[in-house]
Amino acid sequence: MNTKLKVSEISKIYPGCVANDKVSLEFGSGKIYALLGENGAGKSTLVKILSGVVKPDKGQVFLNNESIKLNSPLDAKKNNIGMVFQHFNLFETLSVFENLSIDSNKKNEDLRVLIDGILKKYNFKIDLDVPVLNLSAGQKQKVEIIRCLIRNPKVLIMDEPTSVLTEQETDDLFISLKQFSKDGILIIYITHKLKEVLSLCDEVAVMRKGKVVSVSKTIDEKIETLANKMVGENLNTIKKKINIFKNSEEILKISNLNFKSDDPYETNLNNLNLSLKKGECLGIAGISGNGQNELFQILSGEIITEGTSIKFRNKEIGKLNPRERREYLMAFSPEDRISQAAVPELKIYENVALNNFKSSNFFEKGLVNEKKIKEHTQKILSNFSVNTDNVELKSQFLSGGNLQKLIIGRELITSPELLVCFNPTWGLDVGAINYIHKTLININQQGKSSILISTDNDELLKLSDRVCVIYKGKLSKIMNAESVTPEKLGILMGGGSID
Amino acid sequence: MEVQLIKIEKRNDVSRSIFLLTPILAIFLTLFGGGIIFYALGFNPLEALKFFFITPISDLYGLSELLLKATPLCLIAIGLSFCFKSNNWNIGAEGQLIFGGIVGGGVALLFYNHDGFYVLPIIILSGAVGGMVFAMIPAILKTFFNTNEILVSLMLVYVAKLLLDYLVVGPWSNPEGFNFPETRQFSASARMPILFDGLRIHAGIFITLVTVFLSWLILYKTYLGFQIKVSGLSLKTANYAGYKGKIMIIIVFMISGACAGIAGVGEITGPIGQLHRNISPDYGFTAIIVAFLGRLNPVGIIFASLIVALTYLGAETAQIFLQIPKYTGQVFQGMILFFLLASDYLLFFKIKFLGLKKNDI
Repeated sequence: MNTKLKVSEISKIYPGCVANDKVSLEFGSGKIYALLGENGAGKSTLVKILSGVVKPDKGQVFLNNESIKLNSPLDAKKNNIGMVFQHFNLFETLSVFENLSIDSNKKNEDLRVLIDGILKKYNFKIDLDVPVLNLSAGQKQKVEIIRCLIRNPKVLIMDEPTSVLTEQETDDLFISLKQFSKDGILIIYITHKLKEVLSLCDEVAVMRKGKVVSVSKTIDEKIETLANKMVGENLNTIKKKINIFKNSEEILKISNLNFKSDDPYETNLNNLNLSLKKGECLGIAGISGNGQNELFQILSGEIITEGTSIKFRNKEIGKLNPRERREYLMAFSPEDRISQAAVPELKIYENVALNNFKSSNFFEKGLVNEKKIKEHTQKILSNFSVNTDNVELKSQFLSGGNLQKLIIGRELITSPELLVCFNPTWGLDVGAINYIHKTLININQQGKSSILISTDNDELLKLSDRVCVIYKGKLSKIMNAESVTPEKLGILMGGGSID
Repeated sequence: MEVQLIKIEKRNDVSRSIFLLTPILAIFLTLFGGGIIFYALGFNPLEALKFFFITPISDLYGLSELLLKATPLCLIAIGLSFCFKSNNWNIGAEGQLIFGGIVGGGVALLFYNHDGFYVLPIIILSGAVGGMVFAMIPAILKTFFNTNEILVSLMLVYVAKLLLDYLVVGPWSNPEGFNFPETRQFSASARMPILFDGLRIHAGIFITLVTVFLSWLILYKTYLGFQIKVSGLSLKTANYAGYKGKIMIIIVFMISGACAGIAGVGEITGPIGQLHRNISPDYGFTAIIVAFLGRLNPVGIIFASLIVALTYLGAETAQIFLQIPKYTGQVFQGMILFFLLASDYLLFFKIKFLGLKKNDI
């Protein structure tokens, strides 16, 4: 069985973002291909196009030199393209066998024989009759893989498969993948982990900002060269001027903080230590899903921790909720501006009232002081150049940029000592990004501190005084931003180590 | 095999006026559906609907009965609106009503040979506390043990019912009552004052009206109301704003339980005058329909309670004049809820037909 898969000049444009820009790649069976790139590089879009979930605007897909149409996931299945997504699509309460038989048109007895064959061949140890919820993440993934193997796939696409696996499970997976490859299945492996690329794959295509920037053999590559290609080299140009508050007092200290989650899709945080000085901006880089969400919630108080692990202005605040932390002059701008930082169905002034600090007098003696809130809102709208002066407007009618200005304005108008923001500029246009960046630089110059958790390295290197990287819930050592190159960041983000 | 592919999409532009008008549409559809049922049963639909919806309220006595039935429905629904607005699904108002009735009734029996203005307020208060405590069970289990409040509150209804059964048959049964499953008649000062001679409408209606006003004030003018609104729209935002979600769950259940408890007391100190096995014709369940038909809005709930109360009366008239069982009333209540949910679904989602597609997986 010899399979050739070719994508030719694929383009996909979303409003405000070119996800795939004339992507052309060729794959042949017998090899494992890595598709490497940062968040938003366009890997996922390309994979969704190959699995029929997304239709490309332009371009074609060829399987064995024949052009194929992939209008739906069904078409992908018909063309023997199998896909294992990062998040599993399994019914937890059904048994393994029931899950596998749902979308199969074979008779149950035949299917069982077939599955038993696959289990034996690849040495998978899974009981077909236990409910899926009893399985470990690695076993669930095997069920997803078996689901693909039942159909005799020519192409198997794995999307970030190791993000929920333990080290041991990862090793097992790699052994299986190599075996599939030997059996003639073409494997496309999507990842941002550099080590995995080198240890598993034969060839690697690197994507950046929707384009394929390099295709090469992995034997010719090293972690550093791949990191460079992934992150891009020309980032080091714009930087904030060196901070004048360098030797000021410490404002925030986190020591030995651990967080363990019950949810397998959340990341546990291990032994976090960091400190922040007055007037300083600490950048935290990382590929999304490495614990940024959990870290933000721990800083904001949405996740409560042991009282002693977080000290802010010499007070232990670990047990305080977000509103109480605001009283101590902290402010927070979460990543999800649409459904967390604000409620789209609420009016602008109601969304401003969400940040209710004591001196605001928004709610006197438990009653809503609408006049006060509206005056305060009016001030935010004009001070932070939000493009409306109608405080009664529902916030769902604000553009992303204006909504973000409103949120940042709401958080900053109280002159907090520390602003924690998480991807403050995702999805915004250049004008809004510049405005937000200027605002963030401004608060540092006024002697206020900030923590910037971001997946955008440009932004981090531009705004931070010091940076570190979060990888699998652990923080790297904290470095001076001037001494950091994008290459170093890239290595740390991919799980490598420097020095 | 070819199949029709259907896609369901959320609408973003639902206008507020249509949102408020769909309950009226649902009522008309219910009338239409009811007409068809009557026709299928061999009645003239218009005639039957007239017996159902107009005859019962064509005299003063009928109007008084309408208000009598609307009073508990409205009160319970108001309480429930606090829960529902904050995404807490209290399905057990019937149990809270009965438990409030048991506690209030117990106090009334304690005072059965007392006279004095203080008796009734004490009974009402104890009924409110009873309902409140009973509603706190699912709330506390939800906040501390992550149980599902729908199941717990619903199952507690049967606990309350069986407890009432046991009490009226056993320890609390009337010593001079020839073993009928009922308690003594309450004393006159333990009864709700009757508003008009010869009619059953009692002072409980004022409690309901005051509650409606207070709840409007709380929901729209206070910090608590704002927090309830935000939590209902987005729990993530409520968490981010630092609202104490657990305490709020308990508060809304307490409000809702107290309302149901007072409604229970209103029944036993009003038209019934004692405790027996059936102190409520499922008011606690029907109030769920009232709350949604009234769009969880205090004023809307007043109108909704009148309409749903009418289905109770209509069912009784229909039983007398058309010889059909009075459970027809529940059919109508069910239809109202069904049509309301259906029109809401179509209001918030649109269905797209994507054409025929070959089905071979």
